[in-house]
Amino acid sequence: MVSVTKVFDWLDQRLSIRTWQQLAEKKTVPIHRHSVWYYLGGIALVLLLVQVATGGLLMVYYIPELASAHASILKINTQINFGWFIRSLHSWGANIMILALFVHLFSTYFMKAYRPPRELTWLTGLALMVLAFGFGFTGYLLPWDEVSFFATKIGIDITSKTPFIGEFMASMLRGGPEVGQATLSRFFVIHIFLLPLGLLALLGVHLLMIQLHGISEPDAVKALPEAQKESEKFFPTFVLKDLMVWLLVLNALSVLVGIFPWGLGPEADPYAPAPEGIKPEWYFLAMFQFLKLMPPTIGPLEGEQVGMMIFGIIGLLFAAMPFIDRGHNPKLSGWARLFGQIVLVGFVFFTIWGFAS
Amino acid sequence: MNYPLWDVPFLGGTWIIGLIASVHVFVSHFAVGGGAFFAVTEQWAYKTGDQRIYDYLKKHSLFFLLLTTVFGAVTGVGIWWAISLVNPSGTATLIQTFTLGWAEEYLFFVAEIATIIVYYYTWDRISKEQHLNLARWYAFLSIMTLVIINGILTFMLTPGHWLQSRYWLEGFFNETYWPSLFLRLLMMAALAGMYALVTASLIKEVDFRAKMLRYASKWFLPIFILGPVVGYWYFINVPHDALQNIMTGIQASGIGNFSVLARAIYMSLILSGTILLYAFVGPYLNAKGFSFHAAVMFLICGLLVTSISEWSREMLRKPYVIYGYMYSNGLIKEQVATLNQKGFALNAKWVPKHISEQQLGQKMFQYQCASCHTQHGYRSMHKLLGERDEEAITAFLQILRKTSPQENPYTGIMPPVIGTDEELKALSRYLYSEHHPETGSLASKRAILNTETTTQKTH
Repeated sequence: MVSVTKVFDWLDQRLSIRTWQQLAEKKTVPIHRHSVWYYLGGIALVLLLVQVATGGLLMVYYIPELASAHASILKINTQINFGWFIRSLHSWGANIMILALFVHLFSTYFMKAYRPPRELTWLTGLALMVLAFGFGFTGYLLPWDEVSFFATKIGIDITSKTPFIGEFMASMLRGGPEVGQATLSRFFVIHIFLLPLGLLALLGVHLLMIQLHGISEPDAVKALPEAQKESEKFFPTFVLKDLMVWLLVLNALSVLVGIFPWGLGPEADPYAPAPEGIKPEWYFLAMFQFLKLMPPTIGPLEGEQVGMMIFGIIGLLFAAMPFIDRGHNPKLSGWARLFGQIVLVGFVFFTIWGFAS
Repeated sequence: MNYPLWDVPFLGGTWIIGLIASVHVFVSHFAVGGGAFFAVTEQWAYKTGDQRIYDYLKKHSLFFLLLTTVFGAVTGVGIWWAISLVNPSGTATLIQTFTLGWAEEYLFFVAEIATIIVYYYTWDRISKEQHLNLARWYAFLSIMTLVIINGILTFMLTPGHWLQSRYWLEGFFNETYWPSLFLRLLMMAALAGMYALVTASLIKEVDFRAKMLRYASKWFLPIFILGPVVGYWYFINVPHDALQNIMTGIQASGIGNFSVLARAIYMSLILSGTILLYAFVGPYLNAKGFSFHAAVMFLICGLLVTSISEWSREMLRKPYVIYGYMYSNGLIKEQVATLNQKGFALNAKWVPKHISEQQLGQKMFQYQCASCHTQHGYRSMHKLLGERDEEAITAFLQILRKTSPQENPYTGIMPPVIGTDEELKALSRYLYSEHHPETGSLASKRAILNTETTTQKTH
């Protein structure tokens, strides 16, 4: 029997595994009272892997054609062995992944991990968040049921209000005057090809940056004398802990799937009136609720255009934060924290309001 | 129908039993698995002469003593209290059938409690050999309580030849007795390991903590290796109709109908697999990085899988409380035909002879449906009846009255409804009026219409 060492040696000669191992062993993870937030990136990553695996399986039976899309999902849910399980994992997994990304983003923000030299890590992370929204938006339409159809219609209408490029973006997404076959085809291609391509590139850079710059410490820990700082090896200590957390997350996901399998509404009828109370997925709900509050016009602009501009400014400020708060000016740092707190509270507030209204 | 009933609105009586029983199972399984843990670990300490293991065991035994005697005893009494109020007929049958078994179980239990108290209070007071013998004695007594209670629990799913002979030992050593006994022993060993992880994670000395955590994680090995085989052994002995319920659930999971049992089993399997991997990558491979918080999370997962598995086992019995003999509402299978002829009210001892139709309907609901359903809470009638009118409810009850699976698709999960045609009508009127208080029953509406017509004619 070939021993494990021999296999390892064989692989090492070809892939330089020992070099990677040494690198991973050299890397350390700080231990402090906020260390728990370090697990969020890994959680998002494992949920992404769940998305890739389940998405691949769903593609085997899904047909991106108006007459068959809904029927193929119905078949997956009711006739294919454990199809409901795979689809529920995909749908629940997507939602939990976006939740994990939100928590990852805000925890990174409040720990000031965006500061130099981690600007690129921060920017690629933000871009990945946008891609995740894209995945959510395009994937939502694919079952072609009533709610997804009308929610997508509203979503594209909102997109069209983006200043300067809104109409162009909406028309590119829709592929015609109305949401129909062209929209479904485009959303499918974006969902399974374009976005994954972007994701691969951005995730690669994001992970590489983390390897290059290591894991950041919050200000309070940085200020401590070296002797008082605690850390642990990334490999194997942190990786093994990470694995435990992943298992817990997968457990929680399975429990959700087992108790609440993801349903499917009636097939979309483009000629039917929109049912009352159509709402987008929870992660768009805050924006949706905020836009609902906008008056029809503000000065020469439409209210929704102003709303979209506000979102744009918030996004830009988030992206520019590594260049604004570089860690030299405590006052600026305080303002950055306050800005993050306002955005977070606003997001939670409008999301809850959106659910309740 | 021979006893008064306890009506638990919204939650339903079964949940009262379920909640108390789940908590009790956490503790009682720990009491048995923990017994073996003490015997084996103290043997290890004795063999190696490692005083640190003795010190750890001393602390662990205080936690064990308090949890199993105080909490275990209270919840154990709680189960008796709940089952006798919620399902008095089933409880009475179990007591009458296994009188000797219960008495033996009680004796072993008292001896077990006495031994663990002596075990804790004799640390450093008797010789190490004597103390080790106490640990072994405790392990034996606690396993004996399982040996007995397992016969009664498995009897409820597979009463075996007892159905013909009514001889208690034939019901006791039934088809699922041995696989269930081994499965529970494996589960108990794993639970003992889980609790030990919590107490071991609090040890201050790093190397010794790592040693004990790695040791505790090895208690998962038996279930990891033998669990699937024994699980398979258990399932091939489960009644065919019960297995069919699982298969129906697997096919219908995507739609949600009849799939609760199947989904509970999925969860149980997934959680079990996760726990084993967790034990491997956590306390075994990374003992030094395994914290108290991680141990507590682990324990929560373990307790969750234990309660889901127990719940699945209870669900497997559907629609019976004693498989093939007594339905979950206390109705005896053999009496169904007679009761349909003579009627429900005449045979229900606690239903007054002269009551209104509405009251009769309510009593029918309480005695025949309330063991599993509530009006507005758990398995709500309000949701299940939906938009059905009184006639549709009557038609549905007529289906539920049938006992052949060809005529009644619910035979595998629900007891048949019993009663005369009038009694069924009383039940449907009661159910309809309960959920449409503003309109009342069709009968009362007709009565009003008739009165109005008569009044108009008079004028």
